[in-house]
Amino acid sequence: MSTITQAKEWVKMERLSKVYPNGTVAVKEVDLTIHEGEFLCFVGPSGCGKSTIFKMITGLSNPSSGTLQVMGTTASDARKQSDTAFVFQDHTLLPWNSVIDNVTLPLALRGVPRKERQREAERVLEMVGLKDYMRSMPRELSGGMKMRASIARALVSKPKLLLMDEPFGALDEITRQTLQIELLELWRQDPEMTVLFVTHNVFEAVFLSTRIAVMTPRPGKIAELIDVPVPFPRDETFRTTPEFGQIVRSVSLALKH
Amino acid sequence: MREEVFTKPELSFGTSTAPGKSTKLGMPWFQKMWKRIGPPGVAFILFIGGWELFCRLSGLKPYLLPKPSDIVMAASENASNLWVSVYTTITEAVLGFLLSIVLGVGFAILLASSKLIERSVYPYAIIMQTIPIVAIAPIIVIWFGAGMNAIIIIAFLIGFFPMLSNTLIGLNSTDHNMKNLFYLYNASPLQSMLRLRIPAALPYIVAGLKISCTLAVIGAIVGEYIAGIGGGKGGLGYAITVASSRLQTAYLFACGLSASLLGILFFLLVNAFAKWMLSSWHESEMNSSEG
Repeated sequence: MSTITQAKEWVKMERLSKVYPNGTVAVKEVDLTIHEGEFLCFVGPSGCGKSTIFKMITGLSNPSSGTLQVMGTTASDARKQSDTAFVFQDHTLLPWNSVIDNVTLPLALRGVPRKERQREAERVLEMVGLKDYMRSMPRELSGGMKMRASIARALVSKPKLLLMDEPFGALDEITRQTLQIELLELWRQDPEMTVLFVTHNVFEAVFLSTRIAVMTPRPGKIAELIDVPVPFPRDETFRTTPEFGQIVRSVSLALKH
Repeated sequence: MREEVFTKPELSFGTSTAPGKSTKLGMPWFQKMWKRIGPPGVAFILFIGGWELFCRLSGLKPYLLPKPSDIVMAASENASNLWVSVYTTITEAVLGFLLSIVLGVGFAILLASSKLIERSVYPYAIIMQTIPIVAIAPIIVIWFGAGMNAIIIIAFLIGFFPMLSNTLIGLNSTDHNMKNLFYLYNASPLQSMLRLRIPAALPYIVAGLKISCTLAVIGAIVGEYIAGIGGGKGGLGYAITVASSRLQTAYLFACGLSASLLGILFFLLVNAFAKWMLSSWHESEMNSSEG
C-alpha cells in the first residue's frame, strides 16, 4: 500500500498570457504548477513579466488568455480568503503608524480584536527580531529593519501563500544575505507555507529556492525550470560550495539562451 | 606605512561634525534663539527707529504719516474699542475658517470617492474660485443680511477653495503601492479612506490650512468692509472704515497692524498644529522642527 501523498497544487497556470491594451505581450503561454510548501523563485531580466505574473496571481491584473488557479480557486477569490500575503520591493510601511500598528494592519482590516492582534504582532515581531522596536516609527528603522517589519506584516495573518516581489532589491549586500537566511528560517518554521519570490539576482534565487523558474525577455515565457536539490537548512557555507556554483552557472546559462 | 595612512576614525553617532565647527546640538539655547530672532529683530528696531526719526525730522502731518509712537498712543487710548474689534474679527475669522475646513475637507473626500462626482463638480468649484469675493459679497449680504452671518460666510468662501483643492490633491496622490497593499488585504473603500488616503493627505491638508487661516482673517475684514456691523459690534474692517473716514490715521495704522498680527497668530497656531500632527513622520515638519 502506497503512503506517498501528492502535494497540493497551490498555483496552476495553463497557457497563461497577458497582453496590455497597447499591444505589449508581457507574458506568453506560461505553463507552471507550484505545489504547497515550495519556495519558487522567478528569475529573469527586467521587463520579462515576472511582476506581471505576480499581479495576476494576486488578482491585481487579469489574464488575457489561459487559465490561472490559486489554491483551487480564482486569483481574486483566493485573495478574498486572506490566505495570501505580499511583500513588495518597497517596504510600504505606513509612515504615520508605529511598527506594531503596521504589522497588525492586515488583521485590523479584517476586524480581528485588538488583544489578538497584539498577540499575533508580538509573535511575528519576535520571529523577525523586531520585538524591541514595536513602538518605533518606520523612519527610525534602517532599510533592513523596515523590510523585516514588512515581512512581519505579511506573516501576521499566517498566510499559506507568500508573494515577494524583489523584496531585497533595494538593500545592501550584507543586509540582503542576512535577510535571506532569516527568510529561509521563517519559511522552514511553517511547512505549509509556499513562497513565490521574484528576483533578478541569480545567487539569491539559488540560495533561497527549491525550484527556479528562469524567464525569457519580453514576451515573458518560462525558459527553463531548474530544481535546487540542496537540503535545508542552508547557511553561508552553501554559497561557497561547488554545487552552488554549478546551479548558478546553469541558471545563468538558461538566462542567456 | 599603511597604519600611518589608514588611521581608524573616531566614531560618532547622531551628529557628523566637521573639525573646528561647533555642533547645532551643542549650541546653547540663547545662542540658537538669537540666531533665529536676532537678525529680524535688529531690522525691525532699525526700521521703526528710522521711521520715527524721519517723521520727527520731516515734520510730516500725523494724518499723512503718523509716528510709531503716535500709533502706540492711539492704540492704548482706544484699547477697549480696539480689543472689541479684534475679538469680533477673531470670532468671525475662526468660524469662517472652521467652516472652510469642515466643508473643504468634506467635499474633497466626497469628490475623491468618485471620479464621476469629481469630474462633474470640480470644474464648478474652480469657476466659483475665479469670481472675485468682492463681487459675491454684496449678494451674500442680500441673502443673509448685513452682519456677522454674512461676514462668516465671506470668510468661509475665501478659505474654502484652498482647503478643497489641497485636500483633493492629497487624497488623489496616495502612493500606488500602498493602494495595492490595501486592495490586496481586502480593505473596504471606507477603510482605505480612513486608514490610508486621509492620513497620507495630511501634509496637503496642512498646506491648505496654512493658506486658509490667513485668508480667513482677510475674508473677515473684507466682509466687515462690505457687510458692516448689522447691529452688532464692529470688527477690525469696520474700525478701519470708521478711522479712515475720520482721518484718525494713527488708529487706522493700529487697526491694520492688529489685523496683521492676527493673521500671524493664526498662522503660528496652525503651524504648531501641523508640527504636532506631522513631526513624527513627515519630512516637511521634521526639518522645520530641527532647523
